Amino acid sequence: MKNNFLEIKGVDFTIGGKTKVENASFVIENEGETLCILGPSGIGKTTILRTIAGLEKIEKGTINLNGKLLSSKDQNIEPENRNISLAFQDNSLFPHYTVEKNILLGAERNKEKTKKKITFEEIIDLLDISKILKKYPHEISAGEAQRASLARSLLTQPDLLLLDEPLSNVDQSFKEEIQVRLKKILSKLKITTIIVTHDSYEAFYLGNKCAIILDGQIKQFDDPYNVYHFPNSVEVVNFLNRGILIPAKVTGENSLESKDLGTIKGNFIKHYPKGSDVQLLLQPEDLEHDDKSNLKLEVVDRKFRGTNFIYTLKTNSDLLIPVFVHSHHEHQHETDEKFGIKRPINIDHIVCF
Amino acid sequence: MFKNLNVWLLASLLVSIGVLIPIFTVFFSFFEDTSSYYQILKDTFLFEYIFNSVTLLISVLILTFLIGVTSAYLVSFYKFPLSDFFKWALILSFAVPPYIYAYSLTAFFENYGTAFTILTNLFGEGEYNRNIPKFDGLFGAVLSLSFSLYAYVYILSRASFLYQSQNLIDLGRNLGFSKFKSFHTLILPAARPAIVAGLSLVAMETLAEFGAVDFFSINTLTTGIYNSWIAFDDLAFSNRLSFFLLIFIFACFIIENFSRKKAKYHFNSRGGFKQKEKITLSGNRSFFAFTFCFIIFFLSFLFPLSQMLYWTIKFPENLFDINIISLTLNTIYLVTLSSLTLILLSLVSNYGNRVSKSKILNFLSTISISGYAIPGIILAVAFITFIAWFDENIVKTLGFLSIKKVFIGSVLGLVLVYFVRFYSLAFNGIKSGYEKINISVDESSYLLGYSKQKTFLNIHVPFLRNSLLFVFILISLEIIRELPITLILRPFNFETFATTAYISASEDLLEAAAVPSLFLILIATVFIMFTSKYILREK
Repeated sequence: MKNNFLEIKGVDFTIGGKTKVENASFVIENEGETLCILGPSGIGKTTILRTIAGLEKIEKGTINLNGKLLSSKDQNIEPENRNISLAFQDNSLFPHYTVEKNILLGAERNKEKTKKKITFEEIIDLLDISKILKKYPHEISAGEAQRASLARSLLTQPDLLLLDEPLSNVDQSFKEEIQVRLKKILSKLKITTIIVTHDSYEAFYLGNKCAIILDGQIKQFDDPYNVYHFPNSVEVVNFLNRGILIPAKVTGENSLESKDLGTIKGNFIKHYPKGSDVQLLLQPEDLEHDDKSNLKLEVVDRKFRGTNFIYTLKTNSDLLIPVFVHSHHEHQHETDEKFGIKRPINIDHIVCF
Repeated sequence: MFKNLNVWLLASLLVSIGVLIPIFTVFFSFFEDTSSYYQILKDTFLFEYIFNSVTLLISVLILTFLIGVTSAYLVSFYKFPLSDFFKWALILSFAVPPYIYAYSLTAFFENYGTAFTILTNLFGEGEYNRNIPKFDGLFGAVLSLSFSLYAYVYILSRASFLYQSQNLIDLGRNLGFSKFKSFHTLILPAARPAIVAGLSLVAMETLAEFGAVDFFSINTLTTGIYNSWIAFDDLAFSNRLSFFLLIFIFACFIIENFSRKKAKYHFNSRGGFKQKEKITLSGNRSFFAFTFCFIIFFLSFLFPLSQMLYWTIKFPENLFDINIISLTLNTIYLVTLSSLTLILLSLVSNYGNRVSKSKILNFLSTISISGYAIPGIILAVAFITFIAWFDENIVKTLGFLSIKKVFIGSVLGLVLVYFVRFYSLAFNGIKSGYEKINISVDESSYLLGYSKQKTFLNIHVPFLRNSLLFVFILISLEIIRELPITLILRPFNFETFATTAYISASEDLLEAAAVPSLFLILIATVFIMFTSKYILREK
């Protein structure tokens, strides 16, 4: 039987005597994969990283890395002996050393490594921090400190890399570029990584798998695509804020009937008996704009999001439905105007609760 | 329970318990029998001891408040001739311990003293003695203590004024307040916790003062403790008086701690903080500000320094009567040994607290730093009491040779009691350095593969370098000035500048006290100049 690379089994993640995430189990199957953990602030995402790093102990469950038991109620390998690197969200650079010295401290650990190495220069280039090498931590910005801290962690070439909101302080304009570079280097060096983030797009881009933590539990653990398109609970839908739930009745193998929108066709991802009352997840991209349609709804708001607009439409039952429209579409609608929806409504995959 | 026991925790616990032993001894000794001297004293002098202590305390508090707050206000808010110089010159009064100030005061104003000589040189011979005021007795002690101690209030008030945002002053202007109204309704209340903290330190030092009050023959609780032990050989009664004094001091200590906790809310420099712009004074106002600061600087530092210098030059033979090299070596020996022990063990204790996160240890550390609040004289007496008890009840019972000589009248004993007395300086100095190291720095270090020991040596110690130097200088300064502990516990024929000055002065040989006093002031001044950068830092 093949062992999972990282295996968390039935662990209560606790900090300061308070359990943040209960009875959690998940795995990273193969070395080099990236797991992204998403969840609201204060839910315990950082506690999970700290516990895996060995900075917090566990009273229940087990944590195994590459077949080796790291933590259990009776055993706890000290952080310095785990070869796990954690890049903290806040500046954790050594204040009395220059950025260069701080990063080079990471190199001390990878001296004995036999696997493919990344050089100091490559890291500096990758994260674009050559200009701050001679500076002290208090002389650089929060975003630069985060990149320096990330560089130090990467240079250790750990068995497991833990990144706590690694790019939260990096400028938006630079963030996407760093994400691309980071993904490339993680894949090149085959570093297994867990990233905590509140940015779902970052998680979907970087992660092979995503874990959604809500109410002290791992609510969903799946591929980014599935998390996005097939959220498994109302809580996950609300957390990702991707659409709304509208009441509907199942009318056949591939169809539903909504009082406000009429017939909706598509493939159910889960079977519901005919006649069932369900809550249908309607995402902004599920509906199409059509001025000629006889299904007209009132525009109550319009948000410009660069490549598209998000219209908020009010139904007869006062439901507020979001709809994406390309920003170059010809007929723009103002508030209080009527907005046509193409019929029949076809949704690729129907998610109901 | 023993799962978290590690070498750091154990070492820190031992340090804290060691420091607490003499402190507890005072409390336990309160219940011991005393000689009939207690009864005699209770009927005669006890009231006088308490009355004098309280009078001295209140007077010194009023004077240090006026001098400290006014001078801090002037240098923090205004620019006037030499204001930058006064900013640090006003802390030089720390170099002059109250007892040396007392010698200077007496030397200057006594019959046929320096004032008399100046008047004679200026106006010819005359009956000046009748007209020269005599600053002795309680009044002399009040002046000596106030001019020596006001710097506590000055430093803390200044720091508080400095951290007050320009917004506060702008707000006052916006509301149409005059400068005076802004000062007493906005600036002063905002600085209140810092001022109270400064005054509490002054109160502790005043109640603990021995040299100056002894010189002016004022019966206070401190001199009572010394006399009941030295003159009546009644250690138990010394402890009983110490107990009374400690109650006073702990009240000050609690007020001071309470104020400091509040002070945190005032020193928040995040968000909305705007660096203050100093107002340039001109005309009469500038003259007044300059004159006030100069008078304080002159009276607190230049006057005692020049008096001691004058006598050293006038009576050069005294330079050869004392062995300056031996005194310097003794001082260096004591300072080095004590500072290194204090710094090393305070480092261990701080690190133990940091890594163990033990609540018991945290509690023990908090009370063990109260040693600074306890007068040196009480600690010395408590130490002797404890060693005598330990020797009698433990060592002799086990059949070993007496250990009294090892600890009493030895450098070892002296260093141990200095340790208890100045432990809080070292502990807090290092702690404030440690507070600047985020705990995630330690965690990053562990995650880089560093052990706890390696983290301590490679990450913490280099970072704390400046704090350690500061603590070293601060402790050295205290030990150089320290009198009662050294006087009671020093080995036979082992003198420091402070004890030599005291002995000469107590034998009415003030001019002979001038040489060691002058050296003491000069050495202390050099140390203060080194630390002024930290004490007066503006960022």
